[in-house]
Amino acid sequence: MPSTKKSVVARSSAGQAVFDTIAREKRFRNPPADKSAFPALKEAVRPHVDSWNAVFREGGCLHQAIADIGERTVFDRLDGNAETGYGNKLTVRIANYYLGKSMLSSRDKTAMKREIYPAECRERHSSYRGQLQLELQYKVNNGDWQKEYRDCGLLPLMVMGNRCHLESMSPRSLVDHKEESEEIGGYFIVSGNEKLVRMLIVNRRNYAMAVIRSSYAKRGPSYTNMGVQIRCVRPDQSCMTNVIHYLSDGNITFRFSWRKREYLVPVMMILKALVDTNDREIFEGIVGLDQREDTFLTDRVELLLRTYKAYNLYSRHETLAYLGDKFRIVMQVSPDVSDVEVGKLFLKRIVLVYLNDDGDKQRQILFMIKKLYSLVAGTCAADNVDAAQHHEVLLGGFLYGQILKEKFEEYLLNIRSQVRSDLMGGSKVEFNSPQYIRKMLGKVNERIGESLHYFLSTGNLSSPSGLDLQQTTGFTVVAEKLNFYRYISHFRMVHRGSFFAQLKTTTVRKLLPESWGFLCPVHTPDGSPCGLLNHLAHKCQIATTTSDTSHVGPLVLTLGVHSAKVLPVPTDATLSVQLDGRILGWCSPRDARRVAESLRFYKVSGTHNVPLDLEIGYVPTSNGGQYPGVYLFSQEARMVRPVKYLPLDKEDFVGPFEQPFLNIAVTDPEIKSGDSHVEFDPTNILSIVANMTPFSDFNQSPRNMYQCQMGKQTMGTPGTAIRHRTDNKMYRLQTGQSPVVRAPLYNTYGLDNFPNGMNAVVAVIAYTGYDMDDAMIINKSAHERGFGYGTVYKTEKYDLAEKSKSKSPVLAFGWGWAAIGADAAALAKYKAMKDKYSETLDDMDGLPMVGQKIVEGQPVAVYHNMGTGETFFFKYKGSEDAYVEEVRLLGNDVGDSICQAISVKFRITRSPLIGDKFSSRHGQKGVCSQKWPAVDMPFSESGIQPDVIINPHAFPSRMTIGMFVESMAGKAGTLHGFAQDSTPFKFGEQHTAFDYFGEQLKSAGYNYYGNEPMYSGITGQEFHADIYLGVVYYQRLRHMVNDKYQVRSTGPVDSRTRQPVKGRKRMGGLRIGEMERDSLLAHGTAFLVQDRLLNCSDYHQTWVCRGCGSFLSTTPTVAGERRAEVRCRRCADQATEFDIGKKGYWEDGLGNRFIGGEDTTVVVIPYVLKYLDVELLAMGIQMKYDVSP
Amino acid sequence: MQREGYVPPTAGGGGGTGTGSTRPGGTYGDAPRQTSMKYLCADCGKSVTLNKADPIRCKECGFRILYKERTKRMVQFEAR
Repeated sequence: MPSTKKSVVARSSAGQAVFDTIAREKRFRNPPADKSAFPALKEAVRPHVDSWNAVFREGGCLHQAIADIGERTVFDRLDGNAETGYGNKLTVRIANYYLGKSMLSSRDKTAMKREIYPAECRERHSSYRGQLQLELQYKVNNGDWQKEYRDCGLLPLMVMGNRCHLESMSPRSLVDHKEESEEIGGYFIVSGNEKLVRMLIVNRRNYAMAVIRSSYAKRGPSYTNMGVQIRCVRPDQSCMTNVIHYLSDGNITFRFSWRKREYLVPVMMILKALVDTNDREIFEGIVGLDQREDTFLTDRVELLLRTYKAYNLYSRHETLAYLGDKFRIVMQVSPDVSDVEVGKLFLKRIVLVYLNDDGDKQRQILFMIKKLYSLVAGTCAADNVDAAQHHEVLLGGFLYGQILKEKFEEYLLNIRSQVRSDLMGGSKVEFNSPQYIRKMLGKVNERIGESLHYFLSTGNLSSPSGLDLQQTTGFTVVAEKLNFYRYISHFRMVHRGSFFAQLKTTTVRKLLPESWGFLCPVHTPDGSPCGLLNHLAHKCQIATTTSDTSHVGPLVLTLGVHSAKVLPVPTDATLSVQLDGRILGWCSPRDARRVAESLRFYKVSGTHNVPLDLEIGYVPTSNGGQYPGVYLFSQEARMVRPVKYLPLDKEDFVGPFEQPFLNIAVTDPEIKSGDSHVEFDPTNILSIVANMTPFSDFNQSPRNMYQCQMGKQTMGTPGTAIRHRTDNKMYRLQTGQSPVVRAPLYNTYGLDNFPNGMNAVVAVIAYTGYDMDDAMIINKSAHERGFGYGTVYKTEKYDLAEKSKSKSPVLAFGWGWAAIGADAAALAKYKAMKDKYSETLDDMDGLPMVGQKIVEGQPVAVYHNMGTGETFFFKYKGSEDAYVEEVRLLGNDVGDSICQAISVKFRITRSPLIGDKFSSRHGQKGVCSQKWPAVDMPFSESGIQPDVIINPHAFPSRMTIGMFVESMAGKAGTLHGFAQDSTPFKFGEQHTAFDYFGEQLKSAGYNYYGNEPMYSGITGQEFHADIYLGVVYYQRLRHMVNDKYQVRSTGPVDSRTRQPVKGRKRMGGLRIGEMERDSLLAHGTAFLVQDRLLNCSDYHQTWVCRGCGSFLSTTPTVAGERRAEVRCRRCADQATEFDIGKKGYWEDGLGNRFIGGEDTTVVVIPYVLKYLDVELLAMGIQMKYDVSP
Repeated sequence: MQREGYVPPTAGGGGGTGTGSTRPGGTYGDAPRQTSMKYLCADCGKSVTLNKADPIRCKECGFRILYKERTKRMVQFEAR
């Protein structure tokens, strides 16, 4: 039926799920010289790269940070005061910084190419860094600024960032520079490892959140659990959290933390210090015209105003002076600055740091007070701190920038401390002498690059302020290139913070509807990090720049919003309109809706200069819901995602704050009146990896989670530049295939470059009994054809410099020599050693021979002491046989040293074995139980034999219907020769998948239902039932028996208990625990229990005294007149002269003579019993054993 | 005992280059003779001849990584 067939093909190729084999081959041979064929991959790591660029671009965050740090001053008199003067004043500031690309050091005078590319850093196990230089400026008293350039070490650079050589390279030149053709960057190279700073969920910036937290009540007496918190982020991305607390008497205090210490200030003091104001203005700022009758509110505001009178501070000036006096020491301000100035600095550095205008700050604090009183009164609900609505993402680049800012600041403070310590040490301090300045700077720690290197390599943050974060460790992870799914997932991973991992409550881990479309609901690990370690949905982006919102403020005022600066606002203008935490004005609830809707229309249509990624959070008035208002956000670190805006049928970007208040239909047919948006695609909510699960909408949801796990543990293809990589451990599947069944996104992300499994003919049948309990049978011939054949690469660095302590090389590779004039014995010994070990080594240079097989204990390299000629070996430690794949001789940074380090890559073959783990893409994992001979495999009527047999019992409880669909789709796809689109949510009740693929099968002459008659390979008889036979993509997982098996008869024991040690690495045993013992007892196998628990464990024979029942008191006698034997000291008596005469005594090792104590015998005990006895003895408890025959 | 290149046995003369006494590295008990080895530059791919005391770098381009060439010795495994 050719006509039917044609229609079937046509239907399928309508999607983008095509193989495109020829185009792929061509692209592989000839990487494009213009741009990447897979822009989506770059898009996936954009948050990382863009955040780095935002920090280090001209006028970027770091320049702003430098401006924000400002000046630091120091005087050359320690005992100075206001009367006597402080002495000469040295003012220092950082004027600029310069960060170079990765280049050879100037000490290397010969090399022509001076760039250091990332591939070299990987191969040499070094770090990819560029020179950091600071332009330090200083002036003495009021003199002119003078410049000093300081080298601050090598700063690790982000690959593909704006300081990377690869930044704008085409795939072709990337390949020329030993990278993947689709290199994505976004990570750092630290000692040859690819490290990335992972994204962290933090609270939304510049938004006052109403919080109820029991820990707030612990701040002090009369503190309640209610507060309003605002995380303020400066334009340079450094942040400062301010909290106002509600006290049970109605008062409010302002809390902040400065250098990890917490401080509390009455909120009124802040209000009075910000602007020249009076009590009436403050009252009106908090209590709106409509709230004048609200006695709950007015009482509290009155109290707020009255209690502040106790401070007797009336003007702004007085308040500032008071604050300045109190915080002078804390803020480390120079002594010549007046109290008022310190007070102003306090407001600048601590209070709502994202706002520059003090009036704006005052209005925002008044708003926070309003919100807090509303929370207390119960007219608004607390904001959910665990919801994505109140979250943003702290990006790696921004964190890096924050750390750098702090290091710069610390540098200036260190200069100050250095001058002071010079003064205290009595050395000459002359600010006017450049020699002194240079000498002094030379003593200051300038190794800023190294501290960032430390941060990246350990993930530990050492910071005086803590950077307003809740954790100090675990910021960086290694981007493992196990397979491409795992690799790309690292860059899409967002962590909630390790602080939350310790919480006993599970609320933070819950999947909340607010995360719809931003965080993937499927792609989170199960177990301890579940719900804390999430992955971004594949269409979710993160803003890395502030959009231009200069026109939004005036625009809003034309839309009926009353300016915040004009007081009082009209009675009905009760809702605030805020832009990035700055109050633009007030409007009525009805106007608010109109403002929000107009702004949205403007921004999507691109008129009125409203940026497209502006987030318009319109929170409507409700009965005790979220505090209403219009909140506009335009800044960095927000998650945004594209959806279609219905009124204009154009792309709109929505953020998590506004999303709960928008009506977004999921599919076109679902659109109701009132819906403003529709999803472009329902699969936009899934992460990249979750999107690769075929027909995931047919599966029970946990199975899709398991697949996201297992997809990342698959032995796949890490990339094509394997030759230039030196990962510690790398897995590679030799026989990867392009899946027949795949979503078009598979092509969009170019995953054919990184095949992750094999298409296998799978029969669902209970055939031999070897497929019980999730075991699977592999066709032996399929195995012989290479099904699942894999390789593990291990790279080991052998460094001689680490072995010797001196700086100049003492050791060298190659054979040493027997000492000159050595005797014949020494020569023979040397010859024997050389004969024994030269099997795998190259005589000439002492390095392993490439291609050579190497087994445990054989030498990998030989080296000698160049002085003495003594020879040493590096031996191969792995237990598995390996082949030497590559040997690299590593030069030093300057290239002037003899070979001091080599890097050897070993190849370990991993052909599939019984016990290796495989899985389909539906969370159906299984262990290979047999490689069944092809002749005994069942076969179908067309002569097809399965590659894999799985048991039907794997399905009923797990309900992975997607696997059945994939099986049918794969079968139909292979029969017709096309790729099948497996995007979820494509089929429905009317248009079922089984019918669609059944028809395709039917047109190919196969059974509509996907099952077919099969014949036993052993008897040749047809089975009574038809067998479900199809093509399923199988993954080989990295868990292999060779890494897992553990066996021991005898082996190392613990020295204290003499019981076998545990752990596979130490050749330990497996514990027979209580439950195992119970089972053995229940079976009545007492002999086995004794064998396991005693004979094969800590069997011990010891002497015991029958008389006193102790085995600690027995002691061997010294052979003298009588034979040596064992006696009990405790039961024995001191021998008298009379006894000695009678010769009936015995003697201990010290020559003491005793008589008696002969009632001893040998018993068998577990050795721990003796240990227990001694432990108890130490506590004054004696154990007595009743020994009877 | 064959150690250097694999030379197929010829009908005529005996083994090619290697007998015990002509091994590089000198006779036992001596300080090793100056020997040179050939490596491949990891950047330009050219062959680099290094003596014992030479720094690790390509003579052509100055690159700081050298690859060891695959052994010329016969590599034979039991394929079982």
